[in-house]
Amino acid sequence: MSILAKTAYFWRSAASGLRHAPFVHFVAVTTIAIALFSAGLARGLGHLVDGLLGSLGGEVQVTVYLSPELDEESAVVLRQRMEAATGGTVTVVPPEAALERLATELGDLGEALAHLPENPLPPSLELEVPRERRTPGALKALAEELRALPGVTGVDYGEEAVARLSSISRALGYGGWVGFAVVMMATVAIVAATLQLAIYARREEIEIQKLVGATDRFVKVPFLIEGFLQGLLGAVVALVGLLAFERLVGPGLSSLFAFLVGRGGLVPLLEPKQALELLVTGGALGLGGSFIAVGRFLRV
Amino acid sequence: MIQMFHVYKAYPGDPPVLSDINLHVEKGEFVFLTGPSGAGKTTLLKLVFCAEKATKGQILVGGRNVARIRESAVPYLRRNIGVVFQDFKLLPHRTVEDNVAFALDVLGVPRAEARERVHRMLKLVGLQHKAGSLPLRLSGGEQQRVVIARALVNDPTILLADEPTGNLDPALTVEIMDLLMDVNVRGTTVMVATHDNTLLQRYQKRTVRLERGMLVSDEDGVKAARRLALG
Ligand SMILES: Nc1ncnc2c1ncn2[C@@H]1O[C@H](COP(=O)(O)OP(=O)(O)OP(=O)(O)O)[C@@H](O)[C@H]1O
Ligand SMILES: [Mg+2]
Repeated sequence: MSILAKTAYFWRSAASGLRHAPFVHFVAVTTIAIALFSAGLARGLGHLVDGLLGSLGGEVQVTVYLSPELDEESAVVLRQRMEAATGGTVTVVPPEAALERLATELGDLGEALAHLPENPLPPSLELEVPRERRTPGALKALAEELRALPGVTGVDYGEEAVARLSSISRALGYGGWVGFAVVMMATVAIVAATLQLAIYARREEIEIQKLVGATDRFVKVPFLIEGFLQGLLGAVVALVGLLAFERLVGPGLSSLFAFLVGRGGLVPLLEPKQALELLVTGGALGLGGSFIAVGRFLRV
Repeated sequence: MIQMFHVYKAYPGDPPVLSDINLHVEKGEFVFLTGPSGAGKTTLLKLVFCAEKATKGQILVGGRNVARIRESAVPYLRRNIGVVFQDFKLLPHRTVEDNVAFALDVLGVPRAEARERVHRMLKLVGLQHKAGSLPLRLSGGEQQRVVIARALVNDPTILLADEPTGNLDPALTVEIMDLLMDVNVRGTTVMVATHDNTLLQRYQKRTVRLERGMLVSDEDGVKAARRLALG
């Protein structure tokens, strides 16, 4: 009963703290909301770009050119070795098939190929690179590995394209972290500052609480809750903002990228998991800020 | 209940406010603490509920050595001590009822029960009709009675009252003093700091006199009253 009563008291006290300085808290919550909104938006866009990369990455393919002397049997052996080594799927492309494909791609000009005295194309293998090896580093290593195999004369993969895509993704990743760090510090600083004011405004109350036998914890908890509520409220506002943003801009984005991933293939900007993460982050940052304020400014 | 052994209190840079105080107050006793302004009455009371630390000497409260008490144990000590502060220490933006309930919130008393106890207490000090008022809307005497209600609302074993009748007219003074006597009769140890000699004469209780920080006399009520009568 006592714990229940205390808990009720803590929340009442925290709520009255919010009520008694509405302007300060409004400004703080708004600022936190803007910060979290930007972070959430950056994260959502990053997620979206990753989704795009994923669907583009599906086409990452390594072509392995084989020595013309290699007979079909050895090619099959090599294929098995490659599949075993990389975990990807390998298709054998005999010279005839390669020539045919080239002819189709060339269209009218392809006619000329039919008159060649002999097929100039070497046999090749096409490796669908497994997802986990699609980073530039891993692809490079894979290429080296394949080059060293007997009977392989050359390895070709979209080196530059992959490198560029990955560096965009990496930049987004770094940017995201830097942005998150900024948001984190800003939120913590804002909460700590407003709570410093709140503690100052209630110093008399704190003094009397102590005189009538309040423990340090009893004095501190309402402030911690107040900071937590501030962060959480900021996150809720940010969430509403993100939902509105998705409603307004989402359809435009998805038609913009439709040529790449097909209609409806775009990942949503805000999934339930991310919404929850946003709320947890807001609450946790608020709590962090209030811990700092209580630790530094509440001399009980 | 309260024991002081060679207690000194000095603020840095000043001569000692209390010097070599030896005082023993039994459980259930009623003690007046008197002496001129600045003699150290408030300071002595502060030492008992740990609002100040003694510079030297030992203080036992309910058997616990207050001079060596851990910081975290202080709140639990204070819950057994009701204090009527000379400067009231009421929250100006909280109602009378909330101010009194403050002492119960800290203990985690459920709201409904707290309300009931607060109302009973306010009735006892004659302020039931002011429960919803803000302290600043009350007269000095009314504020004083709110403080007394807050000090008594959680049934403390010790009551320290610093000039509890300082702002009261003679009729109210009698009423409040009777209330304190009543609390004492029901077992609470009471110490009242006052420089009102008429109280000492009227109630004839043990009287401890401080002068310039020194304990100059400690007499039973009859003796003290007789001495006062002789001037
Ligand atoms: N925080 C402090 N710092 C320095 N000196 C102090 C402090 N508090 C009290 N004093 C000094 O201690 C002396 C005793 O003060 P105290 O308040 O105990 O007197 P008192 O007997 O309660 O007087 P009164 O009857 O006027 O209430 C005074 O001279 C006062 O100046
Ligand atoms: Mg005093």
